[in-house]
Amino acid sequence: MWSYIIRRLLLTIPVIFVVSSVTFLLMHAIPGGPFSEEKALPPEIIKNLEKKYHLDDPLWKQYIDYMWGFIRFDFGPSITYKTRTVNDILAQQWPPTAILGSISFFFAILVGVVLGVISAVHANTLIDYICMTVAVIGVSMPNIVIGPLLIWIFALNLKWLPVARWGTPAHVVLPALTLSAPYIARFARFTRAAILEVLNEEYVRTARAKGLSERLTIIRHVLRNALIPVITVAGPAFAGIITGSMVVEQIFAIPGIGKYYVTSVNNRDYPVIMTFTLIFAFCIIIMNLLVDILYAILDPRIRYT
Amino acid sequence: MSRDSIRYKTWKRFSRNRAALLGLLILAILAILAIGAPWIAPYHYADGDVRYNFAPPSKEHWLGCDYMGRDILSRLIYGTRVSLTIAFVSAITSFLIGISYGIVSGYCGGAIDNLMMRFVDIAWGFPTLLLIILMMVFFKSSFARVTPGTFAGTLSAIDRALGGMFFICIGIGLTAWLMIARLARGMTLAVRERDFVEASRACGATGMYIIRKHLLPNIIGPCIVQVTLQIPTFILYEAFLSFIGLGVDPPTPSWGMMINEGYIAMRSYIHVFLAPALALSITILAFNFVGDGLRDALDPRWQR
Repeated sequence: MWSYIIRRLLLTIPVIFVVSSVTFLLMHAIPGGPFSEEKALPPEIIKNLEKKYHLDDPLWKQYIDYMWGFIRFDFGPSITYKTRTVNDILAQQWPPTAILGSISFFFAILVGVVLGVISAVHANTLIDYICMTVAVIGVSMPNIVIGPLLIWIFALNLKWLPVARWGTPAHVVLPALTLSAPYIARFARFTRAAILEVLNEEYVRTARAKGLSERLTIIRHVLRNALIPVITVAGPAFAGIITGSMVVEQIFAIPGIGKYYVTSVNNRDYPVIMTFTLIFAFCIIIMNLLVDILYAILDPRIRYT
Repeated sequence: MSRDSIRYKTWKRFSRNRAALLGLLILAILAILAIGAPWIAPYHYADGDVRYNFAPPSKEHWLGCDYMGRDILSRLIYGTRVSLTIAFVSAITSFLIGISYGIVSGYCGGAIDNLMMRFVDIAWGFPTLLLIILMMVFFKSSFARVTPGTFAGTLSAIDRALGGMFFICIGIGLTAWLMIARLARGMTLAVRERDFVEASRACGATGMYIIRKHLLPNIIGPCIVQVTLQIPTFILYEAFLSFIGLGVDPPTPSWGMMINEGYIAMRSYIHVFLAPALALSITILAFNFVGDGLRDALDPRWQR
């Protein structure tokens, strides 16, 4: 197992290298550079601007400089906002995204697993059908549909919760629900399938045969083993919640990284796009790493060679 | 199709699943709408009438009009073209790349297999949607001003002719094949060692023959299921890109873009949002039903 974990750790290095190079190259391959977007500037000014942003250096040097800066958390200047660095923007924007993202993530796991367990225990009854129908609908409703729908129902018509913006706990409810809904559904479906599979195992029959109550069988024997594969859904769910934050923050006008990412994509603010992409990508890569390692540790049946 | 053939049994299991049949029916209707859009849609998707800005549903405009007085029903019908094109082109691209990559890797084995799979492992680590966004930023900016006649000019012209769908398909196709490649490679490794392949090789069959006659038929089913299960994600990617303004070019009607326009006007005119939101959700639901149905039909172990 340790060799697997070490190999998995080592694999992260080329992944990070490839992700950063591809991001860097794609952003630098765009012809004309960021300054030709505005009205035509005299060549001397462009030259000076390029000098200021070190765009006249050879590409490899720019790459090394950028990555060296990235390691020291110095992400360089923003091009759209001349007076702000990417660090300033990041410092201002990351707390809402982190709060919203982590709440949605854990909410999705909790509610999804509970729904899945309820469905599996009552398999093929009315409760199961209702839960699974809701889950299929949840999987099929993208964020861009759920978000506005929730706003319309709970904010515009019932007036229970604020329509948008950020600040009080009440502001978190609707966006967190929007972000987690598709993953609640996924966790529920996956948990249900995993539990049903484990229920057929012989050790479950043994547990029942020795007179253990149904409740204890489920908690002690079934859940423990069934929840291990559920961990694998956590990686994609985390990635989905991070990328989903882009539209959800847009919909709810939350001043987070996701909303700013979309803004800078539309402004073609390359340093910001690059930094935010890398930060998002690193979060997802690290989360996937954690999920894989956790899975290897928790499941003693699997021996990685 | 004889009664004992695998295909017949699969179809029987599939058709017993009512949700899957419903999904198939919805997809068939959508396909008809997409192909026959110019004849079915009551208006052209780009024709606006200022007198009908945000008009509620009426006899002339069944689903009302959007902020430019364009008929929403017509735009929805034309929008099926975008979603279905993205779905099928991306599915076919990722299927073809993935299955050939996987078979070559699995069949060659050894160092080639190792190298090819390490590449997949590394590419796997790249968050798909972020890569697609980056590629779209790159495509949109660098192909905005190209000289006609060159290769880049031709690509750009194709993209414009397709209303901006071409690059979305490339972006999705280039990222989505990894899963299929892994699956195809794993199954190739398993099938390669079976006796009938050994027998065939002993009879002097060439590599290409074995791949065509023995490997492909055995691995194609699960790969099709996998691709079908991925299609909802492709449609979501397009809607997501169009929603944040990196998708199709206006006035091409994409459901994602229509949802964006609708949610902006939602406070006063909910119908502008509800129509495309429902269309998108129902389409994804239909693809999910069909995908789940196919998976259950091919792999009875998974049946509920």
